[in-house]
Amino acid sequence: MAQMNKHQKNPEPLEDLEELLKRLWPEVRRRHLYPEIPLPRFDDSPSPVAMEIRNKQIILNLDYISTMTRSLPAETVLEALLDHGVSHYTCCPWDLSTHLRLYARAKEILGDRDLARKATDLFMDVVADTHAVKERQSSLPELYRNGAQTPMEEVIFSLYEKIWGLDLGSKGDQETANRLVTIPYLDKRRWMMSLARFIRGIRPLLEDDNGSIPDEQTRMGKHGFQQYAPEEIEQALREFAREAGSPEQFAEVFEDLQSELEIPVQNTSEGMGHGAGNPVDANRLYYMKLAENYALPLLKIPMKGSGYLHPHSHRPWEVCQPFKDLDPWSSFGKFLPGITQIWERREGQIYGRKEKTPDCLVIIDSSGSMVDPRSHLSYAVLGGGCAADGYLRHDARVAVYNFSDAPAGGKEYLPFTRSRSLIYQVLCRYFGGGTALDLEEVTSVAQESEADIFLITDMQITNLDQTVSRFARLKNRVTAVHVGKKSGALRFIKASVKNQNISVFGVNETNDIPRIVLGSVRSYLAYE
Amino acid sequence: MFNPFEDFKEFLSKARTLPLDRLSADHDQIMAELTSGYGKLVEQELKSLVWFVEHNRVIEAYKTATEVVKDLSYDAHSIEDFCYVLDSGVDIPYLISGPAGIYVAALCNHVAEEKIVLRLGEMKRTLHFLGYRLPYGKSLRIEGDTGNFTGSALQGGDITVTGATGDWTGAGMTEGKISIHKNCGRNTGEWMQGGEIWVGSRIRGLGRITSGQIYQAGEAITGDALL
Repeated sequence: MAQMNKHQKNPEPLEDLEELLKRLWPEVRRRHLYPEIPLPRFDDSPSPVAMEIRNKQIILNLDYISTMTRSLPAETVLEALLDHGVSHYTCCPWDLSTHLRLYARAKEILGDRDLARKATDLFMDVVADTHAVKERQSSLPELYRNGAQTPMEEVIFSLYEKIWGLDLGSKGDQETANRLVTIPYLDKRRWMMSLARFIRGIRPLLEDDNGSIPDEQTRMGKHGFQQYAPEEIEQALREFAREAGSPEQFAEVFEDLQSELEIPVQNTSEGMGHGAGNPVDANRLYYMKLAENYALPLLKIPMKGSGYLHPHSHRPWEVCQPFKDLDPWSSFGKFLPGITQIWERREGQIYGRKEKTPDCLVIIDSSGSMVDPRSHLSYAVLGGGCAADGYLRHDARVAVYNFSDAPAGGKEYLPFTRSRSLIYQVLCRYFGGGTALDLEEVTSVAQESEADIFLITDMQITNLDQTVSRFARLKNRVTAVHVGKKSGALRFIKASVKNQNISVFGVNETNDIPRIVLGSVRSYLAYE
Repeated sequence: MFNPFEDFKEFLSKARTLPLDRLSADHDQIMAELTSGYGKLVEQELKSLVWFVEHNRVIEAYKTATEVVKDLSYDAHSIEDFCYVLDSGVDIPYLISGPAGIYVAALCNHVAEEKIVLRLGEMKRTLHFLGYRLPYGKSLRIEGDTGNFTGSALQGGDITVTGATGDWTGAGMTEGKISIHKNCGRNTGEWMQGGEIWVGSRIRGLGRITSGQIYQAGEAITGDALL
């Protein structure tokens, strides 16, 4: 903390600071190329940290500013703080997706939530400050020249001295600082590698600090996840689900941050909504977000001719044409070739049996031969989720039949619903055990509802032959997806070649999923 | 007419040149040189498809590595960073654990600093031959685990491993000290002719020790007194 000396003066009154902020803010925005963030505000709650960011708004701590303005001009203090805050918005982390990736990498290395948070915050501070000093002529060095408060700050200020080429009067551990000076902080493409090097450098200090220093290990405070908008959270989770190494990694990071992120929750009866709801099952969310990266094409039921001719347009009557289609109202009361008008009739178009996308029954195999979706990426759950999303997007309903050894009770059935959350909940259920379908139950549901069937399995089903023959007799469109290349898959493909209502796809890797076309029944036999 | 871009007209972004620009560029250059040096060693060693750990082979590989590294300019931190470059597999033609470890050992033996700290705990695989021929006056602290032949042919240096080591630790060492905080593998101290090996926990097996002393959990031991 800055020490009082003979040059110190009384802090500025709040009114003056607010006036000063209004005057400085346009200039700071100009230097940072006009970022779209609202006018910062002051907060008078006692806190040792300088600022925080909530919903994109920088909140400056009046207590801290009052202390700093005893030894520095208020203009310098405000400009420096604003530069720091804006640089987090314009440079690092830039968005939640980057913030999550950095945190996930730190967590992977350190294995501890608090340490990972601190390391990520420190790294982002160094990047943002260096960006502000290099690119935006910031007065941050003046603020930092005012003395470090913790051993960690000593090291960071020593680092700044070396990489900025300025004297900040720091006495930090030179050995640690030297480890950090060659990291390319401003190269965004190498941030993941840079963060790993940064953590290696500060790890002993970080672990020493962990017991004694509270969350606010630097004067700029910790960077919470409350600063992001719900739309950003959705997008970031989608991207993170794609990049996470496994559902476990996603779940681990998500559970760490769940209390802070305003997670968009799914109501059981409605579509997507926002708001801090009940704790969300991380595995379910992982597959929901991952599936949003794939949009499977869905073929609707084709249209066909109605057989009924309706009056479509006029054309001049000719002598050889019948009188029954003459339109006296458009013919000026005359019967003369070329003047008298006759109705041109065309055949109308109607839908087949239904005028909308049919519902879908997703049948998913969760037997022991399938991957456990909690520990590894399950193509079955992802594929089933993508299929369900495809139908939900067309306002259709989806039922889920999750089975292992169904006749022995290893099954869960979700009746037709539009609740995405419930659908994923049942999809993510893992039974293990044997594999057999209860064909009576499945076919009766399919026949009653006339829904499309989406079957995803590794085809290691005990009653596979009966399944194929039973599906072949159905009029429903069947999309069968085999995961992996097991012998049952070939048997299924061979057996279903003759059946026009069954389409078979294989999924061996994530890239195969977009190739699935839902309801692509050859010739649409069922509706001709 | 009002020009909506008027505010932007006079703005020119003036980027300051910082020492960081030079420091990170120099570091990249050093990494490229170390990688290129390793490539030369691999080229030399890969004349046969399989790399066997034979006495003469190791000596030859170390000789080649020494030739390669003697003209390079680097510091102790660069060695650690290079280990992670090796581990990542990016820009590295082949990671052969034996020659890679010998190359890192040559780097440690020829670096200007006397005290070297390698934080290798986050590496996905372990390197063999770390601390090979570490000379008197140098200390090498390795934070994490190491592979086989750690500190082999040690020539008076001081090695500390905070994790565990593999087989043949301290094989053929003549003098110096190896401290291992956790376990070490089989044939520990094989052909050892002097110096000390201190092991904090379990030793899987001892080699034929000519001279020198091995300690387990602070107690001097012989072959039949392993815990």
